[in-house]
This record gives sequence, structure tokens and C-alpha cells, in this order.
Amino acid sequence: MGARRPRAGFFKFTCCSGCGFELAYFQRCLEETLAAFDFAFFRLASSSGTPEGPFDLSLVEGAVTEPFQIIELKKIRQRSKVLYAIGSCAITGGIPAIKALAPEAQVEGAAYKERLYGLASTRPHVINDYVQVDGFIRGCPPGERDLFEALSSALMGKDPEFTEYSVCMECKMADNKCVLVEEGLPCMGPVTNAGCGALCPAHHRACYGCFGLMGQANIHALKGRFRELGHFSEEDIENRFFTLFGALGKTERK
Amino acid sequence: MRIRTEYLGRVEGEAGVSFKIEGGRLKDLRINIWEPPRFFEGMLVGRRYDEVPDIVARICGICPVSHMLTSIRAIEKAIGFEPAPETLAARKLMAYSQIASSHLVHLVMLALPDYEGQGKGENSLMEVLRLPDMEKSGLLKKFTSVKEALNGITRAFGGRALHPVSMVVGGFTSLPGETETRLLISALGAAERDMEDIAEMMSELKLPQFESASVPVSLSEDGGYAVNSGLIVSGAGLEGQEDDYERLFEEKEALYSNAKKTSLKRGGQIMTGALARVSLQHRWLAPKARKPAFLLVEGPPSQKNKNKKNKNPFHNITAQAVELLHFWQECKELLEAAAASLNQGRQKPLRGIPPAREGKGSALTEAPRGLLYHSYEVDRTGTVRRANIVTPTAHNYLAMEQDLSGLVEANIGMPEERLKGLAEMLIRAYDPCFSCSVH
Repeated sequence: MGARRPRAGFFKFTCCSGCGFELAYFQRCLEETLAAFDFAFFRLASSSGTPEGPFDLSLVEGAVTEPFQIIELKKIRQRSKVLYAIGSCAITGGIPAIKALAPEAQVEGAAYKERLYGLASTRPHVINDYVQVDGFIRGCPPGERDLFEALSSALMGKDPEFTEYSVCMECKMADNKCVLVEEGLPCMGPVTNAGCGALCPAHHRACYGCFGLMGQANIHALKGRFRELGHFSEEDIENRFFTLFGALGKTERK
Repeated sequence: MRIRTEYLGRVEGEAGVSFKIEGGRLKDLRINIWEPPRFFEGMLVGRRYDEVPDIVARICGICPVSHMLTSIRAIEKAIGFEPAPETLAARKLMAYSQIASSHLVHLVMLALPDYEGQGKGENSLMEVLRLPDMEKSGLLKKFTSVKEALNGITRAFGGRALHPVSMVVGGFTSLPGETETRLLISALGAAERDMEDIAEMMSELKLPQFESASVPVSLSEDGGYAVNSGLIVSGAGLEGQEDDYERLFEEKEALYSNAKKTSLKRGGQIMTGALARVSLQHRWLAPKARKPAFLLVEGPPSQKNKNKKNKNPFHNITAQAVELLHFWQECKELLEAAAASLNQGRQKPLRGIPPAREGKGSALTEAPRGLLYHSYEVDRTGTVRRANIVTPTAHNYLAMEQDLSGLVEANIGMPEERLKGLAEMLIRAYDPCFSCSVH
């Protein structure tokens, strides 16, 4: 191989590091990934390396919840040819965004007392609130298919094609029985981004939306369907299902 | 002289370490955990009981199974639900496969470069893999075969290896059938030699000498190596039951850090995790792990000081290698037992989530890095009113700082770069998870 390996950077903001572990441990193409990319910055995997770049490809996980992260993020953008947001926290706010559903001091006060006044934590933000993002590797954890597509496209120098349909499509392709229609489970599949391979319905469980709500999803229709199921409170239908991985959308709709 | 690492590498999450040496004396040593908090205890208030496991899984990208299992048991206690024996067996498989996986990540990806790359300036697995003797040993192939065998178990029972979906309050929404289980057993068989090679390689590393003043704390249970439940024991003996936890332990906030420091109320630094477990529970280890565990805990037979237990925190690495051997055997046995009792195809064991009921429940388990505590109060509609979570790294935080002070003081004349490297190595030996510690 004469060609220069693409320089990659992996950056973590407010999250569980799961996307980093997905890349470094859980996905099945680890050998190929390590051989194909020169990881110039990946703190989880290396105590050396520099965040200065420049990077051919940067992956950013996590939501933005502290002011210093905004500065870091803008620097990363400037130093990166291609920047993908990876994982639900960076893309939709993910689980950390649940914080936005209640007044900050109330949520923070349940975890800290004296330390509360030394914290600079803010309302969670997605990374494309601050910088332009070239693509979204969705999921919590990110789906292997889209991760593979992002990495292989970077090597081939083409634009990746990420999944742009709902979980329902994947259920049909997998020939799963519909858990919403057949069993009355409150499945978020119709309004949720695909990429997981319809994992929950295949495991006899309602999708809980961890790949994020699709753009232009007909949320009202699905809420109506949940009402027809008859065993969920109005509170659950309004506030529960659609805020687990969509809390920021909920506060914006107010 | 001021020594400072702003952003530690090869650990889970974000933290730094700094200290000063003035006139041959150590001053102002701090492990500053600047990982941004997500306030899980606040976010959980107002959520429904059956959402809790899916939320708390996201505390950690390497031990989500532990957070799920601990919260599920605490919630089930709160609503008064008793899980079936098959559920408990499947939960053990989830816990054991995840602990072994997590140890594998720490041993090979995070810790190994400290020792193999030492003095060669190699600071990552990517670099260490290219070292001639590592390339010759086929380390990467071994690592991936072991990781796939372990991830396969968590995936088969949990739906996916990272942030599982089929493990819920009440049980499992889906379980593998006999054919799938037999495939998992053969994958373990095929990777067993590779796993043993890695365990052996890790237990032969030349680790620095250091003696900690920490008291080991672990769960303990008659009849087996305690992971998903048990009594609280320490080097001093029985401490109490999991429901006594909040009476026995205290959390203190540190004004320079986003993580709290947890210790026994009666005082002193504690250590939890693989070394504490092996020290306190080694008689329950699988036969293959017992001999290396004995050597680790008691020292070589020729050694004079018989009753001196191993208190070197660097040996947490060796203890993880011992546990890798142990949990591998446990997984094999549990899978064999499961395969014998299962039907061909996938099963759907759960008939709906158990109903809500008002109550309080707490659970203590052994996560890969040590004691993990979850406690919940749920009202009659099933809404969470209070949540409390204390993680392994919060339990180890005080000991990590105290041991680091001791280590630096014992090596105070060392050149700056080497001392900094040694300090980082000790922190890594503890296998901290800063994302968990802050949560």
C-alpha cells in the first residue's frame, strides 16, 4: 500500500464513551479499521497523539453541555476535512438531553450540593447547533452498517449513503411480525431512524427510539395509535415515549 | 516542579492528574475528574420504572450491562417482583460475559501499552501491535477472536453487546434457543487458547512494586463467586447487607472534581474491583483460575511472609487476567446448562412487564471495576421519585489519590517524565471509569 493512510480523529464530549468503544472494540472490522486509518487523536485508545490535526476524517461523540466544548468543537471543525457526528448524544442530544425537560437547578440539585456552584453545565446541545456537520452516524450505540459506510466511504473518497428510512422498513426486510399491530406494544419504529436492523422488534420488544426521531415523522399519528391501544396514560403518550431520545425536540415544540 | 497531565489517555472518560514537588516534598496532588456530569440522579426523577434500565445503561459504554442489572434488581425489589430462576441464570451470563469483555479491553487496549511500549515511546494499542514480538505473537488476531466470542454471548442474550435491549424489568423479552447457544459454546471453545495466551501474557508483565493502605471490599456469597448479589465483606470481615449500604458508606463531594469520593463511614480508603474480589473470594474461583489466584493473593510458596496479602494495586491487572479465566469457565458451564434445557428456536419468555407498585429498592452488584450501587423510590403509578447511584470508580477514587501520593513519595527523586508516566500507570491499573464516576 503506497497511498497515505487517512488521518482520523475521534473526539468525546458529554456521553458514555460508547461510540468510542463501538469503534475500538464492539464492531467486527477492528483489524481493518486499525490497518486503514492513522488515528492521530483518539484519547480512549492512546495517551499520545495531538488534537491539533489536521484530520481527513473526524468523528465527534457526545452532546455539548459545557462552554469549553464549544471552543473545542469549532477548532475540530476547522482542522477537519470531513466531520461526522456519531451517536445519538451528538445528533439528537440522546439520553443527556432528558436534563432539558426540567429546570436545570432542579435536575442538577438531585446529584450535587456544594459542587453545584462550581459547575458550568448548560442545557444540552447537539453538535450541529455549533458547527456544520457532513453526516450523521446514528444510533445509541451507532449502527454497524452506517459506521462501516462512513469509514469505507472515507477510504474510497466518496460520499457515504446513510440509511434514510424508518425502522419499519427494516422490520419488513427482516420479515418480523409487527409488534405494534399484532401485539399492541407501543413501538416507536414508525417514526424512528433505521440503522439497527430492527433490533427491538426482532427481540419481541417495542422500539424505544434510540436512533432518534426521523425528520418529518408523523408523531401525531403515532400518538393517536398509542391512544387506541388503550392502556397508556395521556401523560405517558405525551411525555414518555417521545422524550427518551427526543427530549430536545419536545422542549422546542413548546 | 509541577507535574501535570491534563487529559489522561487510555482510560474511560475524562480526567487529569497534577502534583507539585517542592524541596523534595510532594504537594497538592489531585486527580481532577472533569468529565462533564449528565445528572442521571436528576434525569431519572419523573421517568417510569421500566425506562430506568435503558436510561442508566447510557451511564457507561463499557459496563452498560452492570448498570442495567443493578437497576433492574433494585426496581424489582421496589415493586415487589421475584424473577424466575432461568432469568437469574441468563443475567449471570450477561454479567460474566460483560466483565470478561471489559477486562479484555482494559488489559490489551488500555493497560498493555504501559508495559510493552515502555521506554519505546509507544502509547497505544495501534503502536504496540506493530512491535515485532507482538506481531509475531499474533496478538491482534487473538484479541479479536476472544472479543468476538465474549460479545457473541452478550449479543445473543441481550440483543446487542453494547446497550442491550432484551434485558428488561421482569426478565428477558427474548432468549436464544439450543442451536444458537451451542454455537456460542463452540465459539468459546475455538477462542479458549487465545484467551489463555492473553491471560498468561498479562500475568507475566513486570509490574511496579507498591503497597497500598486500602481495605479491599467486595460482595460475598456462599456457594459461588459473588457478582449479581451478595453480602458486603471487607478485609476486616463481614460489613453488612446491601440494604445497609447507605448506613455503611458515605459519599463526599470534592470541590475540584465532578466525581464524589465514597468510603466506609468508619473511615479509611477502600479498594473494589478485580483485585479485591480475587483477594476476598478466591476460594470460589473456577479450578483453572484458582492456582494463579493463589499465587497472586498469597505470593509464591517459598516466600517467607505467609500472612501478608497482596496489596499492590498494580496487581489489579493480574487479578483481571485471573477473572478472565474464571468467567470464561463460568460462561461455558452456564451455557451448557442452558443448552440442555432449551428448545431449538428463540424463546419469548416474558409475558408483559410486571405492574407498578409503590416502594423502595436498592441493589449492590460487582461491576467489572467493582461495587456498583443503585437505589430507587417508585410511587404507585410507577414514577421514579428518588434515585441514587454510586459507582466503582467513586468507591476507588480516594484510594487512587492516596496510593498515588504514596507512590510519588516513594519515587520522589525520579526524573520528571518517568514519574509522570508511573503516576499514569497506577491510575490505569485501577481501571477507572470516569464517565461512571461522574454520571
